[in-house]
Amino acid sequence: MAAGGGRRQPLVNILSTATEPTMQIIRPLFQPQTYRDLLFVAAGIPVAALALGLLIAGWTSIAVLAITPLVVPLLLGYRALVGLLARGDAKLARSLLGVRPDPPAWSEGSGFWGRAKAVVLDPTFWRQQGYLLLRMTLGFALAVGELTLIAAAAGALTLPIWYRWSAPEYGSWHADSLGRALLHVPVGIAGLIVAAWLARALGSFSAWQVRSLLRPRPAPATADQQRRSRRRALWIDGCTALGLVVVTTIVWAATGAGYYWPEWVLLPLALLFAIHVIVELVTARLPRRDQALAIHGGVVAAIFLFLVAVWAVTARGYFWPGWTLLGLGSAVVVHWLITRNRRRDRLARRVETLETTRLGAVEEQDAELRRIERDLHDGAQARLVALGISLGMAEQRFASDPEGAQRLVAEARAGVAEALKEMRDLARGIYPPVLADRGIGAALKTLADRSPLTTTVAVDLAERPPAPVETAAYFVAAEAMANAAKHSGAGRIEISVGRRDGLLEVEVTDDGGGGADPDGSGLAGLRRRVEALDGTLTVRSPDGGPTTIRAELPCGS
Amino acid sequence: MRIVIAEDLALLRDGLARLLRDNDLEVVAEVADADALVHAVLRERPDLAIVDIRLPPTFRDEGLRAALELRSSAPETAILVLSQYVEHTYAAELLAEAGSTGGIGYLLKDRVLDAADFVDAVRRVGSGGTALDPEVVAQLLGNRGGQRLDVLTPRELEVLTLMAEGRSNAAIAVALVLTVGAVEKHIASIFQKLRLPPSESDHRRVLAVLAYLGTVPFGDTP
Repeated sequence: MAAGGGRRQPLVNILSTATEPTMQIIRPLFQPQTYRDLLFVAAGIPVAALALGLLIAGWTSIAVLAITPLVVPLLLGYRALVGLLARGDAKLARSLLGVRPDPPAWSEGSGFWGRAKAVVLDPTFWRQQGYLLLRMTLGFALAVGELTLIAAAAGALTLPIWYRWSAPEYGSWHADSLGRALLHVPVGIAGLIVAAWLARALGSFSAWQVRSLLRPRPAPATADQQRRSRRRALWIDGCTALGLVVVTTIVWAATGAGYYWPEWVLLPLALLFAIHVIVELVTARLPRRDQALAIHGGVVAAIFLFLVAVWAVTARGYFWPGWTLLGLGSAVVVHWLITRNRRRDRLARRVETLETTRLGAVEEQDAELRRIERDLHDGAQARLVALGISLGMAEQRFASDPEGAQRLVAEARAGVAEALKEMRDLARGIYPPVLADRGIGAALKTLADRSPLTTTVAVDLAERPPAPVETAAYFVAAEAMANAAKHSGAGRIEISVGRRDGLLEVEVTDDGGGGADPDGSGLAGLRRRVEALDGTLTVRSPDGGPTTIRAELPCGS
Repeated sequence: MRIVIAEDLALLRDGLARLLRDNDLEVVAEVADADALVHAVLRERPDLAIVDIRLPPTFRDEGLRAALELRSSAPETAILVLSQYVEHTYAAELLAEAGSTGGIGYLLKDRVLDAADFVDAVRRVGSGGTALDPEVVAQLLGNRGGQRLDVLTPRELEVLTLMAEGRSNAAIAVALVLTVGAVEKHIASIFQKLRLPPSESDHRRVLAVLAYLGTVPFGDTP
């Protein structure tokens, strides 16, 4: 048996190496690992006390301060303490049980509130809390049971020494003689053997707990996987809680069904499960801006119900949970007021933005209409006038100069062809037909084929975005390409179109000399067009290049 | 030659029909949308259907889609697609669908202005040839094939352009004021320089050139 290394050897191996049946049965008594296991199980009692204090104090203060910015350092501190306790226990498990939990990976988050959100969404954090919860409920109960068994066995074993002073009675049978006391010795030995085997089993169980809860999992990649793993976490939480309650209730029933102590397992578990469910429901169902308040209110309600339950199962009498409701409830009310005010501010700002961008969009449309009007008058209309003149002259000359008339008619036909070509180019500028027919990918490829510069187009879209978004994205790319060809002196253009987090992203980069004016008429028009769709347009064009024009347009999710 | 016309603008439809009848072509049906076109073609089994790319109800490319559908339901009817604008991707789709059978055309509506040329294209497509709008060819030659065509002389490039439009050797000779023999010599030189497979028909020749320019997949070339 590995005495120094601390590596666990499966029980099966110990059994198969033992030859004599008796030796086999009492073997655990002489193995150091048994005592290590026992030590770890017994350590569950102080760990349980610490965990109980930490979890309750932590979540209560978080609920109270949830509306203030203080909640962020509090959450971070709480997570650090949970981590400290969990890691301390893991270290103990490593030296006593020989399991090797890898150091947990915390997700960090950026920004002030982002850090708090990262804590709440961090699976490691929840798994550590789950572990502590198990350790303080099931672990505590098992440790108490095991120690009680050992104490009873030791008592029976040593009865021949102390029976004189306090002889145990079983009904009318008194162990008041040495002979009768000696009868207890084998019972004590048997108890110790059972306790030793139990310690080994509990050690294995604890090692499994540490392995399955304190080891970080690789982060799920897709949103769907994330949702599934979170739903699974909820199931595991619920089933574990239910299982623990059932187990403790069975133990309670088996031990005489007196005072229903498993309620002290049930209530904290119910509280934590309720908080878990609230967080899951709120993040899955509510829009982001309502989540903080909803979680806060839900957690406060859960804590209040928990305290009412505690009040109901204890002395009752003076209704002290009322005060906590007053305290926690007023925090929720303040939170609600702040949220409402902030939402009002945000709405006001939003209205302002919409007014500006709508004005921009209307101006842009106006300018566009004027441009089309001018193009029609200067182009097609002028051509038609010239055509009319040619045909009129031809009409006059039919009799006198048929050859001249024919020449004029031929000229007129050439003029019609020119006018048609101009009309086509104008129409393409207003709305390219291929964009409507085949989407932005085909339209940009056509544009790239027409461009005098070497242009690569990478479009990665599973489905077509809404038409206004697609059109705006197309014109961003088209205008950027036109600018690059006209002003930058670029030789290459790269266009990429993709979708990320409900945003359509268009990026056009050229290798030209840079120095594009973001407020020049073309780019300003584009910005107005993009902003009218709640998008953003960024232009990076340092002197010396390269120029990158990037638009992000919301397109549903 | 029996022809069905599908064009939603009455003015243009009537003008087209008049132009064709003036040139001794028989217009057997004039329709205004894609469904009517499919019915008319299946009923009349014409030699040629002239189809506007944009038809009601959505005015996108249902003409093109109907044309592609007719290609399998009425393969003996040649298709000439007319459009306000040309896109070489559409040309590629049409030609890929046509396979090696021919009888496919894709022209700008502007080409109607040159009546003689247009009627020539109609007759060519109706009898199993090809007519590809010069602007499509220009798009292809100008951008995609630019570098690969450096080996050709300017005259050979002119011949290649007309060849890609689907014209016969005689027509190319007339257009470039050359003898048919000279045209044949140029064509042989082009095929040798670009390492194209020799093709017996004008249509297969178009496909070979377009495949060379990367427009239709190579698998469809003869």
